[in-house]
Amino acid sequence: MPTSAFLTDASVCIGCKACEVACKEWNHIPDDGFEWSGQSYDNTHALGASTWRHVLFLEEKQPMGPQLAGIEEPFRWQFLSDVCKHCENAGCLEACPTGAIVRTELESVFVQHDICNGCGYCVVSCPFGVVDKSHEVGTAFKCTFCYDRQRDGLMPACAKACPTQSIRFGELEELRREAHERVEKLQDRGYNDAQIYDPTGSSVGGTHAIFVILGQPEAYNFPPAPEVPTIHLKSAWGAALVSALVVVLVVCLAFAL
Amino acid sequence: MPGLGTSFGRGGATLGPSDLVNSDAILIMGSNMAENHPVGFQWVIEARERGATVIHVDPRFSRTSAMADIWAPLRAGSDILFLGGLIHYVLENKKDFREYVIHYTNASIILPEEFKDTEDLGGVFSGWDAKNRSYDSNAWLYGACVGGGRVAPKSAGRHSGRHSGHCKDGAGAAADLGNCECDPTLSHPRCVYQVLKKHYSRYTPELVERFCGVPRERFLKIAETFCSASGPEKTGAICYALGWTQQSKGPQIIRAAAILQLLLGNVGRPGGGILALRGHASIQGSTDIPTLYDILPGYLAMPNLGLDSKNLADYVATHRDPTGWWWNFDKYIVSLLKAYYGEEAKKENDWGFNWLPRVTGDHSHQGYFLEMLDGKVEGLFVMGQNPAVAGPNSRLERKALSKLKWLVVRDMVELETASFWYDSPEVERGELRPEEIATEVFLLPAAGHAEKDGCFTNTQRLLQWHQKAVDPPGDARSETWFMFHLGRRLKEKAKQDPRPRNAGLSALTWDYSVEGTMQEPKVEEVLQEINGYQVDDHTLVTGFTELKADGSTACGCWIYSGVFPRPGENRANQRNSQDLWGHGWGFAWPADRRILYNRASARPDGRPWSERKKLVWWDEQKKEWTGLDVPDFARTKAPNYQPPKHAEGDEALAGDKPFILHPDGTGWIFAPKGLADGPLPTHYEGLEAPVGNPLYPDRQSNPAAMRDERPENRYASSPDDRFPYVMSTYRLTEHHTSGAMSRMLPHLAELQPEFFCEISPELASERGIENGGWVTVMTPRGIVEARALVTRRMRPLLIDGKMVHQVGVPYHWGSRGLVKGDSANDLVAISEEPNVRIMEAKGILCDVSPGRRARGKAALDQLNAHLGRK
Amino acid sequence: MAANPKISEDRLDALREEAARTGNVQDHGIVPVGGPFPKPASAMSYHGNPVLKPPTWTWQVPLYFFIGGVAGISALIALVAHLFGNAGMLRTGLWIGFAGALISAPLLIADLGRPARFLNMLRVFKLRSAMSVGAWTLAGFSSAVGLAVVCHELILAGYGNDFLLVLVWAAEIFAALSGLILASYTSVLLGVTAIPVWSENRKLVPVVFLTGALGSAAAVLELLGFLVPVTQFIGIVAGAVEIVIAIMIELRGRYVDRPLREGTVGWLTRAGAALAGPASLLLRLFSGHSSVARYVAAVCFVIGALISRYAWIAAGRVSSRDPQALFRIQRPAPNGIGPARH
Repeated sequence: MPTSAFLTDASVCIGCKACEVACKEWNHIPDDGFEWSGQSYDNTHALGASTWRHVLFLEEKQPMGPQLAGIEEPFRWQFLSDVCKHCENAGCLEACPTGAIVRTELESVFVQHDICNGCGYCVVSCPFGVVDKSHEVGTAFKCTFCYDRQRDGLMPACAKACPTQSIRFGELEELRREAHERVEKLQDRGYNDAQIYDPTGSSVGGTHAIFVILGQPEAYNFPPAPEVPTIHLKSAWGAALVSALVVVLVVCLAFAL
Repeated sequence: MPGLGTSFGRGGATLGPSDLVNSDAILIMGSNMAENHPVGFQWVIEARERGATVIHVDPRFSRTSAMADIWAPLRAGSDILFLGGLIHYVLENKKDFREYVIHYTNASIILPEEFKDTEDLGGVFSGWDAKNRSYDSNAWLYGACVGGGRVAPKSAGRHSGRHSGHCKDGAGAAADLGNCECDPTLSHPRCVYQVLKKHYSRYTPELVERFCGVPRERFLKIAETFCSASGPEKTGAICYALGWTQQSKGPQIIRAAAILQLLLGNVGRPGGGILALRGHASIQGSTDIPTLYDILPGYLAMPNLGLDSKNLADYVATHRDPTGWWWNFDKYIVSLLKAYYGEEAKKENDWGFNWLPRVTGDHSHQGYFLEMLDGKVEGLFVMGQNPAVAGPNSRLERKALSKLKWLVVRDMVELETASFWYDSPEVERGELRPEEIATEVFLLPAAGHAEKDGCFTNTQRLLQWHQKAVDPPGDARSETWFMFHLGRRLKEKAKQDPRPRNAGLSALTWDYSVEGTMQEPKVEEVLQEINGYQVDDHTLVTGFTELKADGSTACGCWIYSGVFPRPGENRANQRNSQDLWGHGWGFAWPADRRILYNRASARPDGRPWSERKKLVWWDEQKKEWTGLDVPDFARTKAPNYQPPKHAEGDEALAGDKPFILHPDGTGWIFAPKGLADGPLPTHYEGLEAPVGNPLYPDRQSNPAAMRDERPENRYASSPDDRFPYVMSTYRLTEHHTSGAMSRMLPHLAELQPEFFCEISPELASERGIENGGWVTVMTPRGIVEARALVTRRMRPLLIDGKMVHQVGVPYHWGSRGLVKGDSANDLVAISEEPNVRIMEAKGILCDVSPGRRARGKAALDQLNAHLGRK
Repeated sequence: MAANPKISEDRLDALREEAARTGNVQDHGIVPVGGPFPKPASAMSYHGNPVLKPPTWTWQVPLYFFIGGVAGISALIALVAHLFGNAGMLRTGLWIGFAGALISAPLLIADLGRPARFLNMLRVFKLRSAMSVGAWTLAGFSSAVGLAVVCHELILAGYGNDFLLVLVWAAEIFAALSGLILASYTSVLLGVTAIPVWSENRKLVPVVFLTGALGSAAAVLELLGFLVPVTQFIGIVAGAVEIVIAIMIELRGRYVDRPLREGTVGWLTRAGAALAGPASLLLRLFSGHSSVARYVAAVCFVIGALISRYAWIAAGRVSSRDPQALFRIQRPAPNGIGPARH
């Protein structure tokens, strides 16, 4: 089975949020409350247990390639739809003690909501801050990659709804190629800060949701060099072992002396 | 609509969104296309990917601006200055597509000496009647035309009922305008081209910078870019929406764009023309099969008492053109009457013409709401609308509702219009008391679009059938069900009451079959009736060319004819797209022509202008027009056809005249008839403005526009120290119009939960407003509070040396729903543009101050205190 | 212009900090070529919003960290006591371990979002998940220390035989080993996460937690009457180490440790350190002969260790909310994406 992937392209996103709504409608996800943020047009804030697609709105004092927008100073407004990265090496999957989080045959990372007991360890293990625990239901939720739709040969709801094909769905390697071509094309047109966000060089090992972004990852709250936390297992357990040995020594000394 | 109608012949978009991929430049103005037509906007993005330059000119930097190649800020209300500046640029730099202009437009027509331009008369055209504040509708005719003869009888121009802007007369004239004097060299001082040049001579880039706020270099860059998308190898398109139409001179703004496109030779060509972006799924449909009072289906005029309504012959004489396609007018009205009245429509009774209602005054939304406020309206049906939030001066409209005897509201939720009597700001403020309101309110549940069969007609004139997926819940019913059964019961009552007043009701054909437990009428039968049929055997017609004036055909809407040409062939339901323009998917009126006036995509001799821009051309072998679209032209009329003397109808138009609805077949750069406020667009300021009119100081605003001034509907002066800022209302993607359908749904309500307004950092700093805080916005009409979104996307403009701040106010909130807020339309005045009677919601004056407004009655005190200031 | 500014490494560091923060330095003689410099990428974030999600754990979890630590180390002390023939500390140590184990499981189960599904923790065993290791460890420890207690009491009551003797030794050894893991795995649990203040302190937190567990176990024994040199020795060592840890955190001055030094959580951290460190140590050193002083020292240490658990969880919450904490430790590669250099 081919590896499912998303390519989300900021350069053609119009910030319409159809992806957010389609996702919530398909998956019967509740609303997140009705609080206005004052952060441009983004009242969704972030991905979480009840938001699996989140559109970002960046108002920046920078030019957007050759666009003539700002008057006295450069200005641009860009949009991007964020989603679970479905990491190759997923922090949430590694952390899950019940085995609720698994990798499916589609190579997506999936939370089996009937097994999860809400221990919350995945929540602090995601380097991208995606998965979260629902306070109402008590278990962890995140994007399912529309596993149910894909099993029936349909594409994920967000990709289907996107009017400008900013969210493209397909085979991972093909989308990686497309992303490279797209960035090349954008750079040729003068979008000097166009780049791909796909941390293949990090311990995450690349993601199944890759992005074409304009500017630095930090501007999108994307970690510039994300790591799957389990790379720290050796050093952490090592320190614990050393400390434990010292404790044994101290206790023995206490009795001996 | 009349802007496009008078310019080209039909009041509809000349192309569809998908055709934008063929554009070399796209100018989006008076529109936030990405915001409000996100699905259609994919074609703009595709165009960009193919190398087109996208230009957005707007008071705000919106989601559309973010995707444009060039953005320019614009002072709301100064659109004609800007467009006139572009026209000036084209004329000064000789950028017009000369061959197109000479053959396909009326640029060469020589105007009579009596005609005087605004430049001659200090801001009005000849024919201005100051007493009645209107123009003589015959004042701008071409005049003594050779080989003409008939002079147009006086039409609805000067009458208390006023001019019907929506009807075909907004598209064409009942006068013989063919065979007039013209100068193909375009140098005669009174030829349209030269008159145009003189009219726009002062619309310089400097003036544009000084009064629109567009920096000169940015303006010239735009002019250069857009005007080079012209000629045989290139085309450019203009997209507009309510940023243009919701002004006291809306149709004139559109006219200016139309003139520009005619000069650049873009109309009727792939990737060219004007895309009127109509909002809502079926707004186009709601003027085609109209919910407007002044027109009948297919843009036929509603008879007007005392003007044209004496008998059918008079009516036809008024509206039928001797030349051009409207020569067929009588066929359409008679077929319509036969559809309405069936067997009861006979030649002897003028086919039932006298059963049609007559216009006797201003029956527009604004008109009847004002009458309602004065207690003159007994009852009202409100279906799929929410005037309590979306109507202009919504405070006035809510109060007006309390004067009704009965009110029927059909909707999917209990919206503000239904709950005004107990849950409105007026009740909170003590202006209305529920126990004193005598209005009997009937709230009936309505079916949603997936719960009924039906047909949308969206912005590209495309009819798309939608099928019922589920039964509506409980008592909810479709509009068709409601109107059909209401009509059926009224007819039954009328049977018992044979007074003449009930004759028309009784005569109506009302025999649709019903099906199912709900007795739902078969909507396909309605569509078939709209398509038209032979009266004797009910054979469906295949198009409007089969319609006759002798009572042998019936047709509910001639422009839709052809949508259901054979039993079982519902073309609106076809989903087999063959090409980029969507042939095979749905049915575009007229006759599935996707790009209107496409004769103009070929040279006068019938060959395409270029290989790159070919669309429709003459096939010399087959002796017919052929190509990639259905020709919007008589199929077998040769390009070199010259009409014989005294030819009538379409035969009177030569083979190189693409604008077949016009009696002279040309695109009208100068509109001799059809608009109430001038043959050429002229810059006037809005009804409220921060500056005086730089061109005509004595003519501040559109002289023909109506203010409907009264204590509940006051205006600021221009300028006004109490209201120094310029605001416009608009939509956000996340909500739908009055919010009745989006504020009630959690997944939409959470995306934009609170009423906010957009303010520049400079204005925020000037008034001590912080991002995320509260502000109070006031106009002479009302007072609202909103959250403050301080953003660089808003910027003050330097207008005539002074800093003018602009404020953006989305209008989606009301007193009910998951998310509530004040209604922005409390701020807007009821005003009426002279042709279509739409209110001015862009570029009105306001004040913005930090902090929330007072609550309850104290809010009105706060407003009055502010009004009392000097 | 500062008169005669001190020329030193500190000054240079301060200038570097200012340059990194503002892209500009204001001082005499400084005219950087190419300045003002653009802000480093890490200075920006999306509206200042958090990148990561805060821990969802409630009050039961830090309490469990504390109690589990005490229980685990008590079992170790019991084993060593057995080896050195100290019957009293053996028995009490085992009972403390057992009591701790009994309280621990309900605490953890109560924190779960779906407590009824607690047994799902035992569906799989994942060595790479500290929480899985911990769940199994608690299960193992509880069984072992429970068995040890039962066997020991049986032996004490006279039902001892060879089998029981072997069993009790095995249970005690298993309880001690699993107890050590119980007391230390929670530090690995925090260290192997994405939360910056936890992951960047993954080598320190084991020291913190084990010291706290050790000192608290001894303190509990003291409060139960074991005012003996063994517990005094352990108490002094634990107190001294707490002081060293606290000084280290203050002096290291890393951005990522700000939650431990600033704001409410900073004060909480200091309170815990003060009680477990200088307060208990000084009481022991200078009034160690007085039983009251030793009781007070024990109480100080226990409270200090407990507070410190809450402080570390709270610090994680604060750290998760600061996008800069995450960005700064990642030191992006030139193209913005790529492996961080550890």
